[in-house]
Amino acid sequence: MTSIDVRDLSKEYGTRRAVDHLTFTVAPGRVTGFLGPNGAGKSTTMRLVLGLDRPSSGTATVGGRPYTALREPLREVGALLDAQAAHGSRTGRDHLRTLAASNRIPLSRVDEVLAGTGLTTAARRRVRTYSLGMRQRLGIAAALLGDPPVIMLDEPSNGLDPEGIIWIRTLLRRLADEGRTVLVSSHLMNETASFADHLVVLGRGRLLADMPMRAFIDARVQPAVRVRTTDDGALRDLLARHGHEAAPDEDGGWIVRRARVEDIGRLASEARLPLLELAAQEGTLEQAYLDLTAAETEFTAQRQEA
Amino acid sequence: MPFTPVLHAEWLKIRTLRALYGALVALFAVTTAFSAIAATGSTSDPDFDPLFTAFLGIGPGQIAVIAFGALAVSSEFTGGGLRLAFTAVPQRGRWYAAKLTGVAVPAFLTGLVTGAASLLVARAGLGSAADGLTAGQQLRGVAGCGLYLALMALLAAGLTALLRSAVGALGILVPLLLVVSFVLGTAAGGLPEYLPDRAGQVVLHASPDGSLGPWSGLAVTALWTAAVVAAGAWSVRRRDA
Repeated sequence: MTSIDVRDLSKEYGTRRAVDHLTFTVAPGRVTGFLGPNGAGKSTTMRLVLGLDRPSSGTATVGGRPYTALREPLREVGALLDAQAAHGSRTGRDHLRTLAASNRIPLSRVDEVLAGTGLTTAARRRVRTYSLGMRQRLGIAAALLGDPPVIMLDEPSNGLDPEGIIWIRTLLRRLADEGRTVLVSSHLMNETASFADHLVVLGRGRLLADMPMRAFIDARVQPAVRVRTTDDGALRDLLARHGHEAAPDEDGGWIVRRARVEDIGRLASEARLPLLELAAQEGTLEQAYLDLTAAETEFTAQRQEA
Repeated sequence: MPFTPVLHAEWLKIRTLRALYGALVALFAVTTAFSAIAATGSTSDPDFDPLFTAFLGIGPGQIAVIAFGALAVSSEFTGGGLRLAFTAVPQRGRWYAAKLTGVAVPAFLTGLVTGAASLLVARAGLGSAADGLTAGQQLRGVAGCGLYLALMALLAAGLTALLRSAVGALGILVPLLLVVSFVLGTAAGGLPEYLPDRAGQVVLHASPDGSLGPWSGLAVTALWTAAVVAAGAWSVRRRDA
C-alpha cells in the first residue's frame, strides 16, 4: 500500500506562506481530487512531495519515504507538473527515452505508453509541432512510464479536447481501480466531480476539507426537489400547509428546499394534484465548493477585523 | 541510484538535440578553416610561432564550444524541464555530474579531432615554416587543444547552471573571450595571463614566453573551471527547482 503522506507541511517564499501546516493522506485505490483556487498551494504541495522544493517545515513522504530517497523514482511515482517540460527540439519518443534510460525502464515500455496515450503516430515528430493537448498526453505518458503505484497529475485536462477529457476520466478511474494512488489537481469543478472519489481542498495554503466527495457535497448543499404542476396556486397552498417553502424556478416549476421527492410526491398524490414533473436536485460539487470558499472568505475577513 | 543509467540518460539527451551536434560541427569547421587561413599569412614576423598559427582558429572556434556547454545545460531549463529532470533523478549532484560528463567527453573528443585537423591543414599551408616543430610539440598542441576546449565547455556549462540561463552565461563568456582578450592584445605578463582563455592557450604555443608553462597554464584554466563548476553545483543542489 503506497500512500502519499503530508505531515504538518509548510513552505514560505520570503514572507508569503504558500503552504501552511498542511496534513493529509492520499490513499490508494481511489481518485483524490485536489481542489483550491489558483495560488492555494496545490502545485507547491506537489513540488514538495516530489522533493523539488525544500519544505520550510514538516514532511512529505511517498510510501513512508521521502521522494529523494527513492532509488528509481519513476517506478514509484509518476507526475505531470507542466506540459511544457519536454524540449521542443526532441521528438516525443526521444523525450520519453531519456526519462526511461535514467530509471532503467525498458524501451518497450516507451512505445507502450505512447500507444496508450494515442501518440504512436506523432512519436517521431518534434515536440515543438505538438498541440497543447498532445503535449499534455506526452506529459501523462511520462507519468505512466515507470508503471508507478502513485500518480500525481497537475491540471491534466488542460488543453485536452472533449474526447481527451473523456479519455483522461476513464484513465484515472482505471488507475484507481487497479489499486493505485491517484492525486489530481484541478480548478474545474464539474470535471473533478466526474472522476474524484475523495477530495482534498486547499485555500491560502491551508487544508479546508479532506473527505469523500459525496460527503463533502451532502454536508454543504441541502437537497431540494423540483416540481411542476398545472395548478401553481394549489401546489403552493399544499406545500405551505405542510411547512415547505417553494420558490419559483425560471421555467414555470418550483424548487422546494430541504425536501425529498418521496414526501412531495405523496403529498401531491393525496391532494389529487396533477404533477407534470417531480425530480430530486442533487447538490453539485461546484455549489459545495463555492459554499465552502464563501465561508472561508467570511472567516478570514472576520479574523482580520478582530 | 547508480550513476551509469543517469549518465546514459544525459548522453541520450545530448545526442537527441540537433543544436548540440551543430555546435560541435561548427567548432570543427570554424577552427580548421581559420587555422588554414592563418597558415597562408606572413611567417616573417619575429614573434611568429608556427604551432600557435596552426591553432589560431581556436579563437573563434571556442565560441562554438562554449555555446555547446551552455546549451547542453540550458536545454533543461525550458518550461519546467529541470523539474522533470529532478523527478527522474532526485540526486541532483549525480545528475549534475552526469550532465558535465556528457558535456566534457564530446567536447574533448571533438577538440582532439579538431586540433589534429587544424594542425594538418596548417602544416600544408605553412610548408617549410613548420619544419622546426618537434613531434612532441605537435602532440602536446593537439592534446592541449582537446583539453582546453573541454575545460571551456565545462566552464560554460557550470556558469549556465549557476545563472540558470544560457544567455547570461554566453553574455559573460563571449565578451570575455572576444573583447577582453582583444583589448589586452598579446601583451605578455601580468594578470591577463591568468585569464582562463589566455592561460589555457599557452599549451598551443611552441615556446611559451610568459610565466606560465603549457601544463601550468591549463591547470590555471582548470582552476577557473573548477570554481565555476562548484558554484554551479551549489546552485543546482541548493535552489528550489
